Amino acid sequence: MNTDKRYNRQIILPEIGTEGQEKLANAKVLVIGAGGLGASILPYLAAAGIGEIGIVDHDVIEISNLHRQVIYKTAAVGKSKAEEAKGMVLELNPEIKVTAFAEKLSAKNAISLFEKYDIIVDATDNISIKYLINDACLVTNKPMVYGSIFRFQGQVSIFNYQNGPTYRCLYPDEKVNALNCEEAGVIGITVGIIGMLQANEVLKMILQIGKVLNGKVLVYNILNNEQQKYDFEKSSEFEISKEDFEKKYNSSENQNAEIKFELIWNEISSDEVLFLDVRNNDESPKISLKNQIQIPLMNLEREIEKLDKNQVIYVFCQSGIRSKIAVELLQRLQFKNVKGIEGGALAMKKLLKDDKIKV
Amino acid sequence: MIEVKYFGAVAEKTKCEFEKLSFSEELSLQKLLQNLEEKYQFESLTFSVAVNQKIVSKASSYTLQTTDVVALLPPFAGG
Repeated sequence: MNTDKRYNRQIILPEIGTEGQEKLANAKVLVIGAGGLGASILPYLAAAGIGEIGIVDHDVIEISNLHRQVIYKTAAVGKSKAEEAKGMVLELNPEIKVTAFAEKLSAKNAISLFEKYDIIVDATDNISIKYLINDACLVTNKPMVYGSIFRFQGQVSIFNYQNGPTYRCLYPDEKVNALNCEEAGVIGITVGIIGMLQANEVLKMILQIGKVLNGKVLVYNILNNEQQKYDFEKSSEFEISKEDFEKKYNSSENQNAEIKFELIWNEISSDEVLFLDVRNNDESPKISLKNQIQIPLMNLEREIEKLDKNQVIYVFCQSGIRSKIAVELLQRLQFKNVKGIEGGALAMKKLLKDDKIKV
Repeated sequence: MIEVKYFGAVAEKTKCEFEKLSFSEELSLQKLLQNLEEKYQFESLTFSVAVNQKIVSKASSYTLQTTDVVALLPPFAGG
């Protein structure tokens, strides 16, 4: 049979055999994020014959993605990542079932999506979504295969596997300030290696071979090739029920802390409000409004006395990720009227350039 | 002497990936972390702490031994 031929070189491994291949064919894996990690994970899962793969990503391909998201062609710039990734892996292996979800993962769709799959792979690029994935995995009782990178370093782990420790057991403090690839920089190889380690954990889990990173986080540094494993334990305080989940996310998602620049542009010279740029000094495009100050996110807590807790503050960064962290930080410090500007300086500059707004 | 390893954004603050620190009196993990905080001003940076490859509570009163290796592990976000 063609199927046997296709997978022959892995079937002849004593650890896999036809029985193992059947396990792969019966497995359903959901990959969240079709960026750098996803581009590394997806082809390997598909080629190995994972029976059903789901791909969640609401983004479109940008030219600045291509150096690391190597499954996309230059001609696909502007197209949906989930759809393009689906097309690519089906060309690679038409014998599997692939579903593209070109939507943003949220508390509203996470549970119903996760219920359709056996293993959830976190290939996302921001921390708050990792907590959401973790919590939805706890509610649906699915294992989470975690990977993330910072510049030339990466981390891989497995959470909630056979009732094991979770993301919150490793990182209990949810109010985290960490840079993603757009902000910190990255080369394709780092996400490639970490993504492949994640794909490897998925296969091991399905085949029940080797030891998966349950209760261990692997930290990999590609500059010096050092890798270490750190053990962590389950803490019962981070259990989460379906009720807890709904309570937590319904309240936080309703708390709309983002605003479109169009809606506030008439306030750009008002003394009543303050625009807060949390980017570093050397970032462009430069935005200079009269009622604006700059405090890089890293310094925000230290320079907090520059801000008035009762003032209306609109926070922006480059694209809206750091501003979200800044808004959360300020809200935690009892600032009452803080909102982040959706799309950050890039969105603002576009409007300013379109000459809709005179500064 | 104990060895302290730094990862990710923490290593960017410390400008080194590891260092050896000597101490004369008994030193608890909690006190070591306070000293490092004063030295490097980690502030809003979040990290977990491992002693000898095991994640432990940052508030631990554990008395450090000269052969211990401490690691500061921040969560990463990129993908």
